[in-house]
Amino acid sequence: MAHAHKVKQYRGVMDWLTTVDHKKIGILYLAAAAFFFLVGGLEAVLIRVQLMYPEQNIFVGEAFNQLVTMHGTTMIFFAAMPAIFGFMNVAVPLQIGARDVAYPYVNALSFWLFLAGGVLMNTSWFLGGAPDAGWTAYAPLSTTAYSGFGMDFYVLGLQIAGIGTLIGAINFLVTIINMRAPGMTFMRMPLFTWTAFITSVLLLFAFPAFTVALVELMFDRIFSGNFFEASKGGNVVLWQHLFWIFGHPEVYVLILPAFGIISEVVSVFSRKRLFGYSSMVFATILIGFLSFMVWVHHMFTTGMGPVANSIFAVGTMAIAVPTGIKIFNWLFTLWGGSITFNTASLWGISFIPAFVVGGMTGVMLAAPPADFQYQDSYFVVAHFHYVIVGGVVLGLFSGVYYWWPKMFGRLLNETLGKLHFWTFFIGFNLTFFPQHFLGLMGMPRRVFTYLPGQGLEEGNFISTIGAGLMGIGMLFFLINIIITSVKPRTATNDPWDARTLEWAISSPAPEYNFKQTPLIRGLDAFWKEKTAGNKEMTPAEPLGPIHMPSSSIMPVVMSIGFFISGFGFMYKVYWVAILGLVGALLVMLWRSLYDDHGRHIEVEELQDEGVKA
Amino acid sequence: MSNTHHAAAALPAEPERATLEGRNKILGFWLFLGAECVLFGTLFATFVALRNQVPEGPTASELFNLSTVALSTFILLTSSLTSVMATMAMHRHKVKPMLGWLVITVLLGLAFLGLEIYEFNEYVMEGHTFTSSAFATSFYTLVGFHGSHVAFGVLWITTLILQTLKKGLTVVTAPKFYVAGLYWHFIDVVWVFIFTVVYLMGKVG
Amino acid sequence: MSSQHEHTAAENHAHRQEGPRNHYISFALSIILTILAFAGVVYGGLDRGFVLAFIVILAIVQAVFQMVYWMHMKDRGHLYPIMFIVMGAVIAGIAVFTAVYWMWW
Repeated sequence: MAHAHKVKQYRGVMDWLTTVDHKKIGILYLAAAAFFFLVGGLEAVLIRVQLMYPEQNIFVGEAFNQLVTMHGTTMIFFAAMPAIFGFMNVAVPLQIGARDVAYPYVNALSFWLFLAGGVLMNTSWFLGGAPDAGWTAYAPLSTTAYSGFGMDFYVLGLQIAGIGTLIGAINFLVTIINMRAPGMTFMRMPLFTWTAFITSVLLLFAFPAFTVALVELMFDRIFSGNFFEASKGGNVVLWQHLFWIFGHPEVYVLILPAFGIISEVVSVFSRKRLFGYSSMVFATILIGFLSFMVWVHHMFTTGMGPVANSIFAVGTMAIAVPTGIKIFNWLFTLWGGSITFNTASLWGISFIPAFVVGGMTGVMLAAPPADFQYQDSYFVVAHFHYVIVGGVVLGLFSGVYYWWPKMFGRLLNETLGKLHFWTFFIGFNLTFFPQHFLGLMGMPRRVFTYLPGQGLEEGNFISTIGAGLMGIGMLFFLINIIITSVKPRTATNDPWDARTLEWAISSPAPEYNFKQTPLIRGLDAFWKEKTAGNKEMTPAEPLGPIHMPSSSIMPVVMSIGFFISGFGFMYKVYWVAILGLVGALLVMLWRSLYDDHGRHIEVEELQDEGVKA
Repeated sequence: MSNTHHAAAALPAEPERATLEGRNKILGFWLFLGAECVLFGTLFATFVALRNQVPEGPTASELFNLSTVALSTFILLTSSLTSVMATMAMHRHKVKPMLGWLVITVLLGLAFLGLEIYEFNEYVMEGHTFTSSAFATSFYTLVGFHGSHVAFGVLWITTLILQTLKKGLTVVTAPKFYVAGLYWHFIDVVWVFIFTVVYLMGKVG
Repeated sequence: MSSQHEHTAAENHAHRQEGPRNHYISFALSIILTILAFAGVVYGGLDRGFVLAFIVILAIVQAVFQMVYWMHMKDRGHLYPIMFIVMGAVIAGIAVFTAVYWMWW
């Protein structure tokens, strides 16, 4: 079956621009996420600097609003989400024994669209001011009557990134449904893959609602539409409904993969199989389902009446049940295990108490009468930072330390890793724990200053110190990356004595992932083989040539098309907008007309690499 | 391994499902349609919320002309039938009838678009512009989204017809036809709700 | 590449025998349902609430019918399509319900 298609192999920067290899795309996602995490973190530090003492005048009014808006939007859409997609790319195909994702080309497109959206939104800093209506962009605050040009960047940046997210979700769903290795039944999938699956389902059904909301805001802002214009019959509460029908599942999009990472890490470093695997899967599905049924709890104070508020309060509290199942399962996994406290497991295990704090305040906020008091105070800020930093970020860092050897073939330095962990974890608690009390004392969120003599000074000061400490923690992390990257690639296939399939192949994984598709004989597939005395997975097929997709620059070109189109719409130069869209359509046409034959890696090459390893 | 290169040999009975790539494409497209359900669902939600919000300009019952809508509906329904005939011809490996049915589908799609443009033009003359009321904005957005889907479908099926003249029906092109057929039916299903919720309910009030 | 979802020749053969008759019936039914809906609105005199419920139900019936026959949902191997379309429809329904219940009414 030797097909001698001459396929151009790129090197250097061009290799990264044209790659369709999910492992490289995963690294691109993580690098972009790290960049935006630092940008969003800088914005957070600036917010805390302004609030360090009462009545400061460093970032006042609009500047403060821009910082708050961009911090939230950047962290959620351009730091946490791509980090999650990064790990999905790095781990999911390997965990299910697949050679590739279902659509490698679409996978690249999904990354470049996300990056185009992120860059477009951040150019607003240099082009007349960033978005300033909060990351929730409530109408009419976000319409032209009350906010500046910056909101156009929000609308179009998120729209472009959103297309990328949607096709990325479809890609992972199809990969998981259609491309599992023989024997890899759904109930044998590692929990991270399960959470990636449910997260993709949530993205698939939540993002279209946001797309429509953004389209409506765009039409109102750019074409003088009337969706949110009350004098013409528009309805501002409509935005809140659409935003939160998307926004609440979005929160679970972030946290579920973190749950997945924790499940892997806790199980590996306790040297036990995950306690209650089936109930974990069930809880994940239930959380995913309930996430679409509770959005109104963000809107208790909009006056929908006691019946609606009560129903959604009960629904929200119900989420505590599957989440509690997960917490107890992790605790029972740790119970009686021989626990290794390295950096990955420290991040992973500290997730549990931090997330419980955030979960508890969540149940408090779910009670409507109490929520009327907490609404828009720092109590809410403390709550969602405990779930997002204490949950998502701790989980993601755990994943970074856990999968780093599989991505780069090098282990991160443990000492620096632990310094990173402790400064970040202590800093996180110092920053956000006092904010609970600040909120209960009445400090409103998104307000740029406060008066002295109201008991708010100490809490805000401690909070700012904590934010600085988190920043120092990130410096340790950056130093760690630099030091590690100059070391030789010494990581073994399986440095953690782990349980899932990705550790059965070399670190970093070869571009074709599995020389022979493995046969899966149970949950924790690799562990099962190891306990049977095998060093490798049992192959499910004879050694044969492997078909690989060709690299392509087209995803970048298409994303640039959307990027240009975005600017055309913002500056109301419609021929540019149409030109960009036509460019994107032409790329689609090109892709349809010219079939990608790909190339084959021949058996001899595979055997050569085997000798080298 | 060699599924992608079956083209030269005899086509299998369901050519669109013969390769893993084909099966992936079909499943992925179904998932996309699931997302489209939510997209149109949210647009319908917006329209339903705002459909009686007409502080100025004509209301729905003053505006709509049901005979044009009935004609559009008949055209789109027929095009859905012709596109399913094309898929059936593809399953029988009959390329020429398949292309014939698709050409009819495209022509019907163009007729539908023409009627829609004519209709919008009429409405604008009667003072029902995009900016006249919340009802007007949500009407043009919902019906316009559907119309742009039809336009995209017309372009898409046309490119498929043209490339098949050169490439023929293979296990690579078959999934594209199947998926485009699904897309066209989906557009028709959305239209069923548009003529009901927008036009008929508009007449009822 | 993988052969786990390969259909057997016998199944494919059975599928090929499916004639256009079902599709003509679906088409006729769609036309009838559409005419009923238009007629319900044009020849008034009926209760407004009844007409609204009547035409919405007709639309749902027609949509389901077209999906089952024209989009081949009745065929084998459509578990995931059905699952995902139903989920999408449920969430779309929730959005519409929200709009009807909290804004339009």
